[in-house]
Parts: sequence; C-alpha cells; structure tokens
Amino acid sequence: MNPAKPKLLIIDDEPDFLETIVKRLLKRQIDATGVDSGKEALRVLQEQSFDVVILDVRMPGMDGIETLKEIKKRSPLTEVIMLTGHGSIKSGIKGMELGAFDYVIKPADFEELFEKVNQAAERKMLHEERVRKA
Amino acid sequence: MPKILPSDPSRIYILVVPLAILLLAVPLWIYSGLGPALAALVVAALCFFVISSLVRKVVKAQEQERLLDLQLIQSQKLAAIGELSAGIAHEINNPLAIIAQEVEWARHQLQAEKPEGKSFAELKDSLDEITRQVDRCSEVTHRILDFARKRDPLVQSTEINKLVEDMAKLVEKEVSHAGICVIRQYENDLPPALTDPPLLRQVVLNLLNNAADSVGQNGTISLETRIPDKGKIEIEISDTGCGIPKEDLNRIFDPFFTTKPPGKGTGLGLSLCHSIIIRLGGTITVQSEQGKGSAFTVRLPLDYNSHKSG
Repeated sequence: MNPAKPKLLIIDDEPDFLETIVKRLLKRQIDATGVDSGKEALRVLQEQSFDVVILDVRMPGMDGIETLKEIKKRSPLTEVIMLTGHGSIKSGIKGMELGAFDYVIKPADFEELFEKVNQAAERKMLHEERVRKA
Repeated sequence: MPKILPSDPSRIYILVVPLAILLLAVPLWIYSGLGPALAALVVAALCFFVISSLVRKVVKAQEQERLLDLQLIQSQKLAAIGELSAGIAHEINNPLAIIAQEVEWARHQLQAEKPEGKSFAELKDSLDEITRQVDRCSEVTHRILDFARKRDPLVQSTEINKLVEDMAKLVEKEVSHAGICVIRQYENDLPPALTDPPLLRQVVLNLLNNAADSVGQNGTISLETRIPDKGKIEIEISDTGCGIPKEDLNRIFDPFFTTKPPGKGTGLGLSLCHSIIIRLGGTITVQSEQGKGSAFTVRLPLDYNSHKSG
C-alpha cells in the first residue's frame, strides 16, 4: 500500500454525507469510494481491497457490527473507523474488541476524520511490515 | 536491607548520626571553642538532610518494586486463566457450531413440510430461541478467545489528551441524560506518546463504561491526565459511584470477576484493561471507597520502545 495515498471505502446510508465526504477526500488526493449499505460494501470488498474503511454503525439492513466482523474476517489488516450519529459506549467497546481502529461521533469534523484516516493508514502499513518480517 | 515503611519506627535511626554529631558540638565548644562547635552543627544538619533524602528515595523505590511485583503476579494469574479459558472456549465452539447447523437443518425441514397447527408454530419458536442462545454462547467464547489472544502493540505517535477526550465525548453523549457530569482536567503540555492508540482507547472506554455503570444516575465522572515523573504519563478516571467493597479490591482485575448480576457483563473488562496496560509497559491501579466512588490510574511510559529496551 502507498501510505501517502491510502485506498478508502466509506459505508454510510446518508446520501448527503456520503457524497460530501467522498468529494472532499478526493480533493485531498485520497482514493475514496462510497457505498450506501453493508451488503454493497461486502460486494465491493470482494472485488477490491481497501486500506481504511469508514463505517456507519447504525444502518438499516446489515448491522454495522456485523459488517465490521465480516470486513475483519475477509481482510484482517484493513483498518476500520466506526462512525455513528448515536454514540453507544457498549457498541464502541464491542467494535474495539473486534478490532476497530477508532469510534467517532457524527457530526465529525472533516479535518479530524482526515487525520484519523491517516493514522489508520499508518497503522495498516506498520502491521503489514510486521507480518512481512514474521 | 530492611524495608522502611513511612510510619516505621525504625525511621528513628535517621536521627542517630545527626544527633551524635550534634552532641559532639558540646564537648567541641568546651574544648575547642565556638568555631568547631558551629562546624559540627552544620555537619549535623547536612547529615540529617542527606540521610533523610536517601531514605525517601529508598522508600519510593521499594514502593515501586512492590507495585511491579503485584502487577507481575496479576499478569501471571491472568495468563494462566487466559490459557485455561481459551482451551475451554475452543472446546465449546465445536459443539456450538454443530448445534447451529442442526437447528438450521431442522428449520429447513419445517420449511419444506410447511406443517400447520399450534405445536408446529411453537416448534419454530423454540428453534429461534435455541439460535439466540447459541449466538449468546458464541459471543462469550469469542470474547474469551479474544482476551487470551496476545495482540502485540503497534506503536504510533499518539496525542493522549485527544484520545482521552474523544472517548469522553462519546461517553458524555450517552450519560448526560442520566444526570452524570463529565469533568476534564488535562495536563496542558502533554508531549505526544509512542504507544498503541486502539489498545489504549479500549482501556479508556472500558474504564469510562465501568464508571458510568457504577454511578448510574446523578454523579460525576472525572478524567485527568498528568506527567507524574520524567518519561511517564498518567491517565486517571474517577467517579462518584458506588465504589468497590474493600474485600473485592484485590480481585477486581481478575478475569470473570464481576459485581454485576448474572448475564450482565462477563467480568473480562478490567482484566482486559490490565493485560493491555501491562503489554504497553505500564501499570494500572485502583483506589476506591464503598459508597464514595473509585479512581483508576493508568501509568504509561512516554515511549513504549524505551520500556522494551530498558
């Protein structure tokens, strides 16, 4: 992976939010793709691999935590940032235990999110290095 | 070297040498004059300060050693229990998987026959219940296996205040309607730490969750960060909740130990925190008084790598 240009997948069922964030990320030279459901995300993940995933945990249909589990199962090195409009400590803990990188409440300041994406990408790179050395 | 406790009567011997020199001042004055007597007084004072500062250092070092010993015993205990429970969890996962498969098959059969009648509706309900309980068991086994899995820290530059504040905001959103105040007191010039951010986030979130649970309604949760010593960072999370009974204090970090009613909480939260903090090269301690509240203090090295090589 290229740490300067991480590949990002955003999973959120709010179309306005999704469109805005993908646009802003593309402007910052981030390779960003947006999907609006867990199911769609898993389909996309079968075709491509991503470095970082931003995931809304409260979406109708496939539960955010279930999606997180699936992502980690299929590609354990991908870092996941959970996003939620309704913070829940218990689901935050559960998500972290399942390996999520961070848990952010909406509305999320774009600069903060951008920084977290970079931190997550850095972690993926460190993780890959360690696996290579093992 | 005997252990010198702060209230130890043997501390009296700090005074022995200075006193002896002080007493010397008397004959010195009589036989050699004021000059040498004053010199003796000065030497006595110097001796007192030097010896008491040395004693203070020794007491501090012994306290640190005692703390590290306790943490070592705790992590050995945790490792043993972790291994045992991981073995059990693995064993249970197999029959669980088979039960789940059989239930699926039974459901499939029902679907195929499409029988009518009350007993068949009940049968389907029972199958659904079995699935729910199997899922519940799976969650427990996964949590246990997760706990036992050794996750080596991945070190990144971390702004501790920011990390703690992020978790505080999450908790605040949930507890504010229960009348719980979240107070922050962050050390202003906290340098960035080299540690594992997601692991640390887990610890902070777990501690905050416990604090919120023990307060319940109307109370305060406080978050503090500070620099206790050179090269170290401290995070303290305290609450005005129900506190921990004295007799439970030394079991609080044990896996599966919980003060919650059965079904609520696996008792793995604090032992997970302990195991993570040890892996990050730090210590976690608790102070608590029943009915007043608790304070959990996490102390970490500023640089994880220095801990490893040191």
